[in-house]
Amino acid sequence: MLRRNWLQLGVAGLAGGSFSNLLQLREACAASMPAGKKPASCILIWMDGGPTHFETFDPKPEAPVEIRGEFQPMNTNVPGIQICEHLPKLASIADKYAIVRSVCHNQGNHGAGNHYMMTGAPPRIPVGCGAFVSFHPSLGSVAAKERPAPHGLPPYFSMPSMSRSGGPNFLGAKYAPFVVGGDPNNKHFRVRDVELPNGINDDRFQSRRDLRHLVDRLPRFSDPATADPVVAVDEFFQQGVELITTPEAQKAFDIHSESDATRDAYGRNSFGQRALLARRLVQAGVPFVTLYDGGWDHHSDLFGALKTRLPSWDQTVAALINDLDQLGLLETTMVIALGEFGRTPKISTLPGQSKAGRDHWANAMSILFAGGGTPGGQVVGATDRQGHSACERILSPENFVSTVYLKMGIDPDKVYYTPSGRPAHLVSDPTPIKELM
Amino acid sequence: MERVKRPGPYVPKSTLKGGFPRVSSKILAFPVLAFRCLAPRFPLKRFCSKMLAFPVLAFRCLAPSFRSRPVVGMLALASSSHRCLAPQAIFSGIFSGTVPEHSLKRFYSRMLAFPSLAFRCLAPSFRSRPATGTLALASSSHRCLAPQAIFSGIFSGTVPEHSLKRFYSRMLAFPVLAFRCLAPSFRGRYASTLGRMAQRSAIVSRFLWLLLAMSLLLCPSALNAQDTLIKSNSPYSPAKFELDIQPILTARGCNSGPCHGKSRGQNGFALSLLGFDSDMDFRSIVTDARGRRVQPASPADSLLLQKATSQLPHGGGKKLEPDSADYQTLVQWIQAGFPRINETDPVLTQVAISPDPKPLAPGEELHLKVTATYSDGSSRDVTSTSAYQSNEPAVLAVKPNGKIQAGSLPGEATIMARYMGNIATWSSAIPRPDPVDPKVYAELPRNNFIDDLVYQRLAHLNIVPSRPASDSQFLRRAFIDVIGRQPTSDETREFLHDPNPNKRFALIDALLERPEYADNWANKWADLLRPNPYRVGIKAVLSLDTWIRDAFRQNLPYDQFVRGILTARGSNWKNGAVTIFRDRREPDEIVTMVSQLFLGIRLDCAKCHQHPFEVYGQHDFYSLAAFFSRVGYKGTGLSPPISGGEETVLVKSSGQVNHPLTGKPLTPKTLRGSEVQIAQGDDPREKLVDWMVSDSNPTFAQVAVNRIWAELFGVGIVDPVDDLRATNPPSNPKLLDQLATHFRTIGFNQKELLRTILQSHVYSLSSEPNQTNRGDHRNFSRHYRQRLRAEVLADAICDITQTTQSYAGSPAGTRAMQLWTVRTESELLDAFGRPDPNQDPPCERIPESTVVQALHLMNAPAIAAKITDENGRAKRLADSQWTPNQIVEDLYLATFSRFPDPTELSDLVSEFGKPNNDRRKLVEDILWSMLNSPEFTHKD
Repeated sequence: MLRRNWLQLGVAGLAGGSFSNLLQLREACAASMPAGKKPASCILIWMDGGPTHFETFDPKPEAPVEIRGEFQPMNTNVPGIQICEHLPKLASIADKYAIVRSVCHNQGNHGAGNHYMMTGAPPRIPVGCGAFVSFHPSLGSVAAKERPAPHGLPPYFSMPSMSRSGGPNFLGAKYAPFVVGGDPNNKHFRVRDVELPNGINDDRFQSRRDLRHLVDRLPRFSDPATADPVVAVDEFFQQGVELITTPEAQKAFDIHSESDATRDAYGRNSFGQRALLARRLVQAGVPFVTLYDGGWDHHSDLFGALKTRLPSWDQTVAALINDLDQLGLLETTMVIALGEFGRTPKISTLPGQSKAGRDHWANAMSILFAGGGTPGGQVVGATDRQGHSACERILSPENFVSTVYLKMGIDPDKVYYTPSGRPAHLVSDPTPIKELM
Repeated sequence: MERVKRPGPYVPKSTLKGGFPRVSSKILAFPVLAFRCLAPRFPLKRFCSKMLAFPVLAFRCLAPSFRSRPVVGMLALASSSHRCLAPQAIFSGIFSGTVPEHSLKRFYSRMLAFPSLAFRCLAPSFRSRPATGTLALASSSHRCLAPQAIFSGIFSGTVPEHSLKRFYSRMLAFPVLAFRCLAPSFRGRYASTLGRMAQRSAIVSRFLWLLLAMSLLLCPSALNAQDTLIKSNSPYSPAKFELDIQPILTARGCNSGPCHGKSRGQNGFALSLLGFDSDMDFRSIVTDARGRRVQPASPADSLLLQKATSQLPHGGGKKLEPDSADYQTLVQWIQAGFPRINETDPVLTQVAISPDPKPLAPGEELHLKVTATYSDGSSRDVTSTSAYQSNEPAVLAVKPNGKIQAGSLPGEATIMARYMGNIATWSSAIPRPDPVDPKVYAELPRNNFIDDLVYQRLAHLNIVPSRPASDSQFLRRAFIDVIGRQPTSDETREFLHDPNPNKRFALIDALLERPEYADNWANKWADLLRPNPYRVGIKAVLSLDTWIRDAFRQNLPYDQFVRGILTARGSNWKNGAVTIFRDRREPDEIVTMVSQLFLGIRLDCAKCHQHPFEVYGQHDFYSLAAFFSRVGYKGTGLSPPISGGEETVLVKSSGQVNHPLTGKPLTPKTLRGSEVQIAQGDDPREKLVDWMVSDSNPTFAQVAVNRIWAELFGVGIVDPVDDLRATNPPSNPKLLDQLATHFRTIGFNQKELLRTILQSHVYSLSSEPNQTNRGDHRNFSRHYRQRLRAEVLADAICDITQTTQSYAGSPAGTRAMQLWTVRTESELLDAFGRPDPNQDPPCERIPESTVVQALHLMNAPAIAAKITDENGRAKRLADSQWTPNQIVEDLYLATFSRFPDPTELSDLVSEFGKPNNDRRKLVEDILWSMLNSPEFTHKD
């Protein structure tokens, strides 16, 4: 205890007070927001299962073969930064994003890792691999609460399903993600519930609303003291109507209006088209979109699977960043790609499997972080020579979510109160990753 | 014969135990070596006490290590590694609490005998001070004050006063030496003060300086002369940590959950939540962070005070005014050397609020006074150091100084004052200002005791209940409440045309016998009991669901229902109740659920700390958990996400629960009750249930009736329904008591209880407010509107559109109400807030409306398909020979459970006459517009 304190003292003494620096940094971040700068929106590419950091953004060519794996690193357009050879498109735009290589935690199974990274809070009780748990509001739900969307648009989308631990917890159902299932690559794709059902045109919708006007005669108790729940329903109905009848909002869902060139650029697959839809939503003012991208749990056949998966993933993510950049939206839109953890350095073959893979590894992971004013062309932190664990600028999930919140104009040090009155810190350690700010 | 000892630094413990003096001759020769050898090996206390016997030697031993200090210190700061601080730590350990006080006294007295030596020994360590001190001050971090803190520790209260005096007098004998020793450390600290004084005196002579320094030294309080002018409000002198300091921290919110009270503390400074752990708080403030938070030599410079007064940047802002009495108390306490209570000090016995509760007029203000009473009979005013909370701030607001103000709304509120873990409550009613003629209440219809008790309450508040609801409102309400579905058109028509004056009672009786009753109430209870199937396994969840439905089908008395769950044993495939234990495997996991669900007591807080609004602490929590200490398991445990194995829950012959801090095994003890001895081989859970359902435990029945009441009225008599405590009082205590007694009398028969409540006149009131009750949300003067539950709504849409919904994994014809896992996919159920099994706790259901719900009803393809279904109601009506009148009437009966009124009828019928309207499309559109109206989505 004493020694540690002295250590802090020494560093602090030399650096001239790290605590006050930290405070200043935080204040600076919060203060910089309103001054003409729009708080960022966020497209979160959630690589559920835990993507390998070796075969994505943290290659280790110097490591022995059983660690470095089959893939080679590739130079990017930023000297000194190398990423996996199967991500050539991202390699060509490395100046547009930052890579964080040193976020780590201690939750080595899916349920817990998902929760920690998605909410910034470790699960309160031990959680198993298959678990979908929620003890704390997720990034998206907090964004939904703090950042309402225009035109009656739901503020938090999740496609094609809700991510684990992506719920609102005590914030309430209002802030649950609006889940858009289905495959936007399909010719007949429609976003559920936000467009008139088949066979109902605008005229018929109008006449339905006229009829509702005749039918809906339940008295409203408009005195606020009475707190009639029906009064709120009217508000939501109006909001829904606005969403249906506002062309700007409707445009957001109409992926079919994109040019073929754009759709091709994103990749004609469901993930690619979802990314394009996410961009349209953000363009229309939605603050938070989760692109749930499962299946990164490569215990076996890591190389075979990634050889086919990475190129199309690379194409989509690079297209998304480029597209946002060209539209001038990258400055106000974060694109973040990560999963719940990294994967084991040593390649191994599970019993009963013939092809090798990597297992869960929370000591190291890589996060791609683009946009929202993030200085690109940099790598934050590092893992050791063999990718075992973060060794420079060791960062926590708390640091990560704090960064996202701050960029969205949300104070990570905020205190919420649960319905039972218990205070809950939004993030227990509200320190952002300063290199990304 | 004594064995020849091995040469070298090793000194066996046993040798020292009996014969330190013998060894000491060798040690004497090599003091430095001896110190190095002994220090790491000996328990500090023994080492010190031995040293006390040889003060000179001790000092000679210690001195070298301190001489090395300047170098090491500088080195440490420069390289920021400080491996060599051990000697200092030992030394400060001697001076601080790690050594028993009597040894300290002896140590000091020895030192006093050899003052010059002592100073010579100490001096070197202080010589290093200017360098480090300056460095520290320069970097504006006051972190390097450790040596001074030690030194000031000598001078401050850790040394008894009489020794101090003697110490000073000795020092006077060697002023020059003393000054040489002490000056450097003070030069850094009080350079400006001394400099100023020196300038003013115009004669700068070393001697005068010395005198000045000495006077400062001898009268430490002179430094703070102006501070002591304001008297602290502590009747105890000096102020004691537990009695005076902790209350200040609590009242200012320093140790609250959002601030330093959170488990990780705030910026390195952690206090126990609401001050439940005095030892921890004392350590945090006094010893942690090298004691930099308090400065006895100059209390006002203590980090604790500088932060609290916002002289240094403080995330929590300014919490303390420098001219306040609390500030002075802190100053005095620091100056006195951080005294704590001892056995002879009085302990807090009671906290009370005065004046006595009385009704308040809207807007009226009142100053509450909180008085703490101590075991010695003394009492003190703790108004300013108590924390306050109102359970209804809109009705009665409270400020941190104890001032309350009634709002503009009539109602009831309770103020809680918390002072050092003790709680006092103060309840008051704010009646409507215009009195109501008592005759009004006398003339109200009364069906049973519920009406009496509710009217009494309303009379007290000058509120008149709403008029009775119409037959159709009552019909729809009763159907939805009792069996979770709407009446069909035929049922509605029949009831509304029934001339029987007692038809409402007849309806209640008939509904209670309907088979849907079991599904409706099992569905509610499943919310509370159902674990996550990904954790415990699908089969276990299904068998629990079956068990619950069975219980409601049989109308199992509630006490037996609870006993069945809490004493469950056997296979999770055969006895569904066992699933609860499969999910919650540790006594401390199950006990939180048991206490919340069945006792209405939220014990979760008490698991880790004293409950902030309750009397319960860790001891209560784990003693209650001890009833589950003998739950054993056999078979396949959890293996998420499948967890498909069979597991048997059994009762072990023994088992224990230990207190997490003391580690001592705890005897099972009921809450606020007594310890229960469990014989070998008995199931302690049986004893727990015996106590729970007994007359000596009122909360069991209370929480049960309150939950049922809340299901019917939308809000409990106590709200939240499972949080019964003095600080969250019932809105109508008599009503809660009477209902609980009634429930007991009828043998915990839930159907009978429902019958009683449904038959009351209060249940049948309209939701429409009158002038007197428009602000009433808790006294049941009107019905409170509620949105239909997700499952009720889903089933109602099917019934109204005359379509069916198939659910994955369930047989055809399964209604939403019958689904046994929330994992069954349904966008509609999710949108309307069925519980999320991922949530912790999972039982919360969302009663609110959302835009997603509005959008879903408006546009969801599934609902659109039901409206336009080829076999659905709209198509059938359109194809029929019925007149527009008949069609509209049928739609109203089916959807709104009433006949359309003449204007509605004529308005809609006229739509059929319009040339462009297609009959089928029009029927569909009317149906759509009705399903999208709150008259359908809400229970009126």
